[in-house]
Amino acid sequence: MGKDLVQLRNIHKSYSGVEVLHGVDLALASGEVLALLGENGAGKSTLVKILAGDIPPTSGTISIDGTELARLDVYQARQLGIRMIFQELNDAPTLTVAENIFLGQLPRSGGFISWSEMEKKAQEILDRLQVKIPVDAIAGSLRVGERQLLEIARALTQNAKVLVLDEPTAALSSVEVDRLFTVMDQLKAQGVGMIYITHRLDEVARVADRVQVLRDGTSVLTVKNSEIDRTALVTAMLGRAAEKNARPEAVHTSKPALKLNKLSSRLDYSDVSLHVNEGEVVALFGKIGSGTAEILESVFSLRPVTGGNIEIFGEKFSPKSPAASAEFGIGYLPADRQRLGSFGIRSVAENLAVTCWKKMSNLGFVNQRKEFQAFERWAEALRISSRSGATQEIATLSGGNQQKVLLARWFEANVRVLLLVEPTRGVDVGARRDIYEIIRRQARESNMAVLVATSDYEEVVLLADRALVMARGKIVKELTGDSVDAQSLVSASS
Amino acid sequence: MSKSTNAVAADGATKTKGFSIPQTAPLIVFLLAMVVFFSIASEYFLDIENFKNILVALAVTGMVCVPGTFLMIAGHVDLSVGSAAAVSGMLLAQTVNSKGIAFGLACCLIFGLVLGIINGIFVTIVGVNSLITTLGGLATLYGVALLAGNGQTVMMFGFEWLGTAQPFSIPLPIIIFAILAVIGVITLRRTSYGRSLYAIGANPNAARVVGIRSNRILFITFVLSSVAAALAGAVLASQLSAGDPNAAKGLELEVVTAIVLGGASLAGGRGTLLGTVLGLVVIQVLNNGLILLDVPSFWQRIAQGILLIAAVSFDQIRQKIVAQKG
Repeated sequence: MGKDLVQLRNIHKSYSGVEVLHGVDLALASGEVLALLGENGAGKSTLVKILAGDIPPTSGTISIDGTELARLDVYQARQLGIRMIFQELNDAPTLTVAENIFLGQLPRSGGFISWSEMEKKAQEILDRLQVKIPVDAIAGSLRVGERQLLEIARALTQNAKVLVLDEPTAALSSVEVDRLFTVMDQLKAQGVGMIYITHRLDEVARVADRVQVLRDGTSVLTVKNSEIDRTALVTAMLGRAAEKNARPEAVHTSKPALKLNKLSSRLDYSDVSLHVNEGEVVALFGKIGSGTAEILESVFSLRPVTGGNIEIFGEKFSPKSPAASAEFGIGYLPADRQRLGSFGIRSVAENLAVTCWKKMSNLGFVNQRKEFQAFERWAEALRISSRSGATQEIATLSGGNQQKVLLARWFEANVRVLLLVEPTRGVDVGARRDIYEIIRRQARESNMAVLVATSDYEEVVLLADRALVMARGKIVKELTGDSVDAQSLVSASS
Repeated sequence: MSKSTNAVAADGATKTKGFSIPQTAPLIVFLLAMVVFFSIASEYFLDIENFKNILVALAVTGMVCVPGTFLMIAGHVDLSVGSAAAVSGMLLAQTVNSKGIAFGLACCLIFGLVLGIINGIFVTIVGVNSLITTLGGLATLYGVALLAGNGQTVMMFGFEWLGTAQPFSIPLPIIIFAILAVIGVITLRRTSYGRSLYAIGANPNAARVVGIRSNRILFITFVLSSVAAALAGAVLASQLSAGDPNAAKGLELEVVTAIVLGGASLAGGRGTLLGTVLGLVVIQVLNNGLILLDVPSFWQRIAQGILLIAAVSFDQIRQKIVAQKG
């Protein structure tokens, strides 16, 4: 391991008076890979943004290559060879590989772009990474993993010394992950220092020389690769959350409502078998991209099924269209409320009744009184607060109240199976518990089977009767009763 | 219908903070100002017969505006209506003289159905943007209309009643339009189909995810639009006693202007048929007034273009104000 490349000392950062980093130290040597672990909100992103010059620290010192810097801006950070690779692709999919590598700095001669020189240089960089991608291929036609490697190649054109990789493997297949690690080994041999942010504990042991764990803006653990202990890492990441949370009262039912038999969908998930009983709430827990939400999409006909089958109350069900799924008694709450859930400019009453207009009709005419009554009934039962009542535009409601309306939409339709994706995303903490209680009560009272896809372990603990943990498209563990706790969930999914 | 959700959607956002811009208020003010101005400027303006003229002129466009408003609420537009009306008129003129009225009208109806199905297929199945699909239709069908009479007007005999009859001294086109408008208002407000149009326009992705069969609904609406255009073409030909390839030129512009003036959002999700009728009245009063004042007819075109841009600008400005407050 070489000399110290990066030294962050006693970094504090506050946003409008609230401190999010409480004096964090971080060191990185050349040719070293440092894995940075931590739950959402631990401060990982803030810390690396400070290193990239994106945001200034409130106090603390930064030294790069032994030189202490009074301040660091984005331009300076680039000059010093600090580059970030994000989870989301930042490429131009309609341009070629070579153009993408030199994006924004195309080699010119005499004012004109020199294509031959650009392709020659691009080839050199790809060779250096030992990546075999044709330089004249269109970026958009490549696989996600290959495009991620292009981003790294682009960083190398500017002689990167420090590479920050922010969850680069989230969208990659295992083959692509291996390839990324091979590239990282290459860079390591060339003396590049890397900070690797991830949620995946199995990757950490494979790729990192050292691991640093952040929790609530404090560095809580730093260990060498040889000393990595999975349980210790999870405990460090979770802190108090690792303590047992009160579990809801168990519901015992035995009549299966929804059954999936060896269900598969191309690369998204495979051989998933599970059942949800009447009145039961089952959680599919896993990181985003692990296949949890994708399974629910398939059951609601939003994603093709390539193998296996679905049974609902013993009847074979093959997904055809969302409308057909809804008619079969299935309800679906998407994670992206604004894009897929609500009709922002329409009233709350309409947003609720949209699933039931046929049911509320006499001789083909929608009975508007029934529409208003339905809203008033659910507004009272679920404590939905809407200042102007049934006629208020839904977009003007708080996230929690909007979510209650979207849930009531399916309750009113009397669905037998309800699929929920991240049901409390963008909902404030107070309304969250409310929503958990509503879902559990409704499942019990109307014998509805509820399947929840979530990446929030606390949600699983507070909401579900049973939890199935997913990783990389497969169910890896089932937890029931009191064995559903944050520690086991995070450990099994990482 | 003061509690109707349609009215609410138009005013709801602004009501909540105690300051409101009812969408139709400026339009009504503009209409009243025009009426006052034209009554003073022309002695013929305030005359029963003149009102009939205004209404007859409004009726033909109005027939097309009913499904046109449905489409705009769902976030789509049909620009092929003008040329479709022209083809329908030519078809009628070519067939009525030899094969009779029933056969001629049946041809118009079938033409409307077929065109609607074609538009529907392109928009919902092939997935071509509706603006482009129907812009292509506009050009193609205009060519067909010219082809049908070698670019000439085709005279037609014995079929004036559809355009000129006056049962109970009300011109028949006005009666047809009034019936369509009433059916349209009820459909939009009170049927699952009509309500679904608002949902599709407000958020097409969410509409799919709540189980609305969006493609089927849009398909039906495109068919209604083409059939209405074919009907309007037949009425127009009957009024003129001739099939004229240029008779309905610019109809699509008038339809879109009326709908947008009436408060329907180009982005979909908002709009009422009563608003569209108000928009139609504004356009026709303006046209009629300019004619009475003997203003050269090309000024009508200029006025209409300005009106369309003014209406859209007003819609945008209103949306910005609402967004800032929300």
